[in-house]
Amino acid sequence: MPTGGDSEAPAAELVGITKRFGPVVANDGIDLAIRRGEIHGVVGENGAGKSTLMSILYGLRRPDSGHVLRNGTRVRLRSPAEAIGHGLGMVHQRFRLFPDLTVAENIVIGAEPTRRGVVDLAAAGREIERLGEVFGLYVDPASRAGRLPVGVRQRVEILKALYREAEVLILDEPTAVLTPGEAARLFDVLKTVTRTGTSVVLVTHKLSEVLTATDRVTVLRRGRVTGRFVTAETTADELVIAMIGRSLGPPRRPAAPDGEPDGTPAGRPYALEVDGLTVLDRDGVPRLSDVSFGVRPGEIVGIAGVAGSGQRELIDTVTGLRPPGSATSGGVLLSGRPVRRGREPAIAYVPEDRHGRATAATMSLAENLVMGDHRTPALRGRAGLSAAAVRERARTLVERFAIRAASVGDPISALSGGNAQKAVLARELSRGTPVIVVEEPTQGVDVGAQEQIHGLLSEARAAGQAVLLQSSELSELRALADRILVMFEGRVVAELAGDEATEERLGAAMTGATATPGQAAPAAETESSATAREQGPADAKGTTR
Amino acid sequence: MNILELTFVASVLTATTPVVLAALGGLLCSVSGVFNMALEGQMLWGAFTAVSFSHLTGSAWWGVAGGVAATALYSAVLSVLAVTFRADPVVIAVGMNLLALGLTAFLMRQILGVGGTYTSPDLHGLPTLAGMGLDHVPVIGPVLGSQSPLVPAAFVLVAATAWWLRRTRSGLRLRGIGQHPEAAESLGLKVGAYRHGAVLAAGALCGLAGAQLALGNVTLFSEGMSAGRGWVAVVAVMLGGVRPLRVLSACLLFGVAEALGFRLQGAGLPQQLADAAPYVITLLALILAGAAGRRRRTPLETA
Amino acid sequence: MSAVRLGSLARGRAAALGPLGRSAPAVLAVAGALVVTTLVMLVVGVDPSDAYPALIRGAVADGNLEYTIGAFVPTLGMALAFAIPLRTGEFNLGGDGQMALGGVAAAALALRVPLPPGVAVALPLVVAALTGAVVAGISAPLHTRFGIPAIVTTLLVSTPAVALSSYLVRFPLAEPRTGIAETPLLPDAAHLPAIGASGYVTIGLPLILLLTAGWIYVDRRTVAGYEIRATGANREFARYGGVRVDRLAVVTMAGGGAFAGLVGGLIVLGPPFRFVDGALTAPGYTFTAIAAVLLATGRPIAVPFTVALMTILQVGGEGMERDAGVPSQLTQVIQGLVIVIVAALATTRVLRERRARRAQEIDVGEANA
Repeated sequence: MPTGGDSEAPAAELVGITKRFGPVVANDGIDLAIRRGEIHGVVGENGAGKSTLMSILYGLRRPDSGHVLRNGTRVRLRSPAEAIGHGLGMVHQRFRLFPDLTVAENIVIGAEPTRRGVVDLAAAGREIERLGEVFGLYVDPASRAGRLPVGVRQRVEILKALYREAEVLILDEPTAVLTPGEAARLFDVLKTVTRTGTSVVLVTHKLSEVLTATDRVTVLRRGRVTGRFVTAETTADELVIAMIGRSLGPPRRPAAPDGEPDGTPAGRPYALEVDGLTVLDRDGVPRLSDVSFGVRPGEIVGIAGVAGSGQRELIDTVTGLRPPGSATSGGVLLSGRPVRRGREPAIAYVPEDRHGRATAATMSLAENLVMGDHRTPALRGRAGLSAAAVRERARTLVERFAIRAASVGDPISALSGGNAQKAVLARELSRGTPVIVVEEPTQGVDVGAQEQIHGLLSEARAAGQAVLLQSSELSELRALADRILVMFEGRVVAELAGDEATEERLGAAMTGATATPGQAAPAAETESSATAREQGPADAKGTTR
Repeated sequence: MNILELTFVASVLTATTPVVLAALGGLLCSVSGVFNMALEGQMLWGAFTAVSFSHLTGSAWWGVAGGVAATALYSAVLSVLAVTFRADPVVIAVGMNLLALGLTAFLMRQILGVGGTYTSPDLHGLPTLAGMGLDHVPVIGPVLGSQSPLVPAAFVLVAATAWWLRRTRSGLRLRGIGQHPEAAESLGLKVGAYRHGAVLAAGALCGLAGAQLALGNVTLFSEGMSAGRGWVAVVAVMLGGVRPLRVLSACLLFGVAEALGFRLQGAGLPQQLADAAPYVITLLALILAGAAGRRRRTPLETA
Repeated sequence: MSAVRLGSLARGRAAALGPLGRSAPAVLAVAGALVVTTLVMLVVGVDPSDAYPALIRGAVADGNLEYTIGAFVPTLGMALAFAIPLRTGEFNLGGDGQMALGGVAAAALALRVPLPPGVAVALPLVVAALTGAVVAGISAPLHTRFGIPAIVTTLLVSTPAVALSSYLVRFPLAEPRTGIAETPLLPDAAHLPAIGASGYVTIGLPLILLLTAGWIYVDRRTVAGYEIRATGANREFARYGGVRVDRLAVVTMAGGGAFAGLVGGLIVLGPPFRFVDGALTAPGYTFTAIAAVLLATGRPIAVPFTVALMTILQVGGEGMERDAGVPSQLTQVIQGLVIVIVAALATTRVLRERRARRAQEIDVGEANA
């Protein structure tokens, strides 16, 4: 369907794109050409500038300098609507579907076929079926989008772009939410799509996807292009060097905790023990199925998994914050005693949702720094909560954790993302609880703060605290965790020691690829409960009860 | 007493009409993703302006037109502040409801020259359908004969709105905007414009509701005469979600309760308790729906 | 870095302006409301130079001042009834019903149960407060369990509650044989002791001032106050911090209702020492108080002052009607405008903050790219 323009010219070309956010240069003079009918991989670590670049191509952001060409002609993209008008389409990592509209309505909205003023859903349905046949994208036009499984929703998003005659289709981390089977199907579809001349831009940080699915690759690192490759002529090693500036050595291990000559805390009883935990939601649907593991003092246990594999439910149950209306069986034990509901005080918890859960934007930094400790006698004045003690504690934490803030009396919303995150860590880690639960500790923070945060977690481990670390950054898990548990469909399907957890093994387990889900569960069960049983529950209970 | 008597049905329709008109406005706002709690004040303002225009022009229909226009204008305050400036719609609504109470009471003394209640043989109410030749038709005659044309019009409007939302381009877009404004925006839909439209249309519908209340149900204006009906309309929207027919059912429930209270009053129930009945029943319906919604995991809260 | 710098500069300016700077929205709101009201006067042909002096005279001229103080007490009480739940983010619009049933409960107790002096005043007030607390408290679980906003349920409960009080006063508690919708005169022991000569100012004034001071103290300086503010700022944050937010919702809602009930009791035990149907709700204390609280823009310490201002407008409005023939309902117009303008001004602040926050999020440099 490609139309017009110079047939030699790339379907889309970004020329000299530079984009700054304050002092940070997200894109620094990037050139990128997408040829007609190719699948072009754009890879790089988190923060490399991929998303910024794609948001410029899709009209969501405007570059400070540089421009975009379509079929050799310069175009102005001031909004997604304009980008759509120029034949660009984007499938966001977070889908943008209207949950209560039907598939057909979702696809045609904004460009509806009408007959005498009435939306012609029959014509829409026919067109959707035609597109489905051409590209192998089958969906029921009449079903409600909100009820569809994730993989099908993604198909609707792709159809939405194709219906608008997109000639350049951008997919942002499309496999983050997919099972391996769904991912394979997606790549098949993308190959079909390119056969009609449509180009695909595949943004990802997974090397395996780049190598199997793309024709050419552009690698970004710290806002610059560090490599351009023809996929068939390159190797994973070459890509890695371009991505991170060096080849992957053995993963960096944190120092062994003090007083552990053999470097493992294996002999100690569990500080946190999860035993046969099953959680059903309000509708009785299992969200967690028979999850068992333990975390010993001086140990960091990582949780990996595709988003929505049960991490949320696991952590909410462990910390006591499980929403009302759900039911559990099995238990969570803290040094042998059951965890308290409505926030367990003996667990420090750094939530993923900084704005929604971990802070109150309109309250002062000082007030944010005492939440959870506000009942302790140390903060009491002659009567009630002492404002002076609250401020004093805040100043101490600000200094100790190097939080950059003008005044502890200012609202926490005045802090940068990294500093707000440090404030949350300061509050939680300063409590010196035996157990620490951390979710996505470095999401949305700059590189400097990232290093500091990793340092804090290693210190906590060295101080003999038990750390449960959930992260979608595999590199983070591999760098910090002693053991990594992989979750899939509400179960722990694999447990890997930190030094044997390669990206490939983790990736395979995360997508249930070690076995089909049905078979994986019992296998994993025996694996994890076997380790647990060795010196696990019986010991722990014996020593503490 | 036979509650299936046709006159009872007639009084249910009378009681339901103003509420359902306002609720339809609330529904449009709710579909577009704006929480409109200012229905009470707008209905009162509509009643007052309709009576004023009827008083000044000597024509009930000019009164209706004036009420609709004036209330749409009044709702522009909410539209500008809540949609353009993103002000808290709840606080704006609280202020606008109070403002309407004060403005109507103040202006009635200035324009109509009395306080409390204004009624006059010179004030023209809406014609009844009987007067328009419908009284000889069986069943429909007794039910609708004493009603103003706005009563059947209200029910037609509900059906029309349901169809419009389902089948037309603008209806589809309004639904999309309410469900995911960012997605709608990125598809090039004018989110702000649709929301302004919804709020202004709600104003017009509340004006119609007020006109029916003051020139249809009765022919007078009294201070605070909306008497919580706008809030019942808000509840009806919470109960009915974005489905016009469900919202209509919720309004009918209120209408039945009010008509029943009125009947029971005739049978000796003190007026105070009869007045309370519709609100108690509305509240109970809300609680039952809330309990059911809790089980179905669809929270009623739209805010 | 530049974003951080700019932010701290802006904060520095706000700090330099001090309390004056923080009151700016309130001053602007009142000024704006008066401008619009003046326009309304001019449009309908009222001379503002007659109306406003009459309004001031009506509120503070001798003889009227006591009456103003008499109205200040219930308005301040109703302000607390609205402000306490508002601190957790709940709107209590049902003050009228809570107040009316509180008043009925106080009257019934004083009329039917002979009590020793002292207790005869204190106990009805306590019962009135408890009644108000129960009426308002219903709305908390309706929100936390069923997700029905309190703004709707408080109002829906209020209408029947007022109707019920009206029924009780007209029938079971009515003065026999008179046909007037009021209770008999309460026994002397149940009359609130007056302060000063006229009788309009009773011990209700020091009582409500003391309770207000207590609330401000609790809000600022106690653990409960901190938890309440945190819940209002971000409910999930408070829950995460171990605050039992559902229980807190009940406590604050009931606490607000208790003040409304207490106001009902104070009115009934004050002159004319009986429950007169409609006398509690007719002066519009509830909404005057709501306007005052919203004008205080989230600062408890400012509430007594904004209530004083709104009471002067309200009472002065009646003087304006007497002296200048301007309908007193104009003061409701002012109140409504104040609320709308406060909301509008709050928005510009929120917008500025949001813009600042967005700048900072970008400052992190797309780390979640």
